[in-house]
Amino acid sequence: MSRAAEEVSDDALLVLYANGDGRAAADLTARLSPRVFGVAMRVMGNRAEAEDVTQEAMLRLWKMAPEWRPGEAQVSTWLYRVAMNLCIDRKRRARGGHVELDAVPEPPDPARSAAEAMQEGARQDALQSALMQLPERQRQAVVLRHLEELSNPEIAGIMDISVEAVESLTARGKRALAAVLAGRREELGYSDG
Amino acid sequence: MAETDKALQELEDLFAAARAERPAVPDRLTAAILEDAARERLRAEPVAPRRPARRPLWRQLAEAVGGWPAMGGLAAASAAGLWIGLAPPSFVPDPVALAGYEDSSTAVPYENYDMAVMLSEDLQ
Repeated sequence: MSRAAEEVSDDALLVLYANGDGRAAADLTARLSPRVFGVAMRVMGNRAEAEDVTQEAMLRLWKMAPEWRPGEAQVSTWLYRVAMNLCIDRKRRARGGHVELDAVPEPPDPARSAAEAMQEGARQDALQSALMQLPERQRQAVVLRHLEELSNPEIAGIMDISVEAVESLTARGKRALAAVLAGRREELGYSDG
Repeated sequence: MAETDKALQELEDLFAAARAERPAVPDRLTAAILEDAARERLRAEPVAPRRPARRPLWRQLAEAVGGWPAMGGLAAASAAGLWIGLAPPSFVPDPVALAGYEDSSTAVPYENYDMAVMLSEDLQ
């Protein structure tokens, strides 16, 4: 992404794209697709599904671009919302089917020892596995709040619920995650000290 | 309580580690997204307005007066007017009389002449 593009808002880039600027599409893709992909990976727990959700969400963005009215909403909020709804749709369709709980690979970090990397990998797998045990809406709220670090009002806009409901979902989600992980403390190398 | 706090702190640490290792978007996914963008951009490009097809004069006239329903009404009114003009009902004044013309036998030339008289005059 060019330095100039970083200073242009998502709104403006989307209008540029709608007006035929192909470079704006590349800038928007570089800026937004990693966020959608990251959330979809955590919510779906499956790389192939996350890729499909990301491509479909971005496709809907391109289709919607000519009707976008700048200043009315944030492009990223709109996109997260589309992605979350796509995740829910896919989960509903796949209900009863096989769900990969440990399909989020961890990239190797050369700065860590092999043992540390393995332990951190195991912890991240455990986090993902615990996330997948949460009810759908709790998982979405926790991922958006604690992994994407979005504000509660923004999450409320994405999930179409009140800020209080977001707070409730994230609090319950965190308690449930902590409870699941507590049973694996020793296995994950946490000391009692 | 201390146990819960510790578990929540460990969870926060896990969140922090997860945020630091965001999964990278595969190159082929980026390429597919950009392909979609290019295709949608072409589809959305405004096309030159097409010249409207040339329509026959009778259709243009029909549309000018309001389409086929209006044309039907117009035809019915015209037929009724013609009929009333040719054979006015008894309670309608005769338009010819109103115009000052008398429908009398004197108005018809040569009524009392027959062909023989005319021929005899020509012979004289």
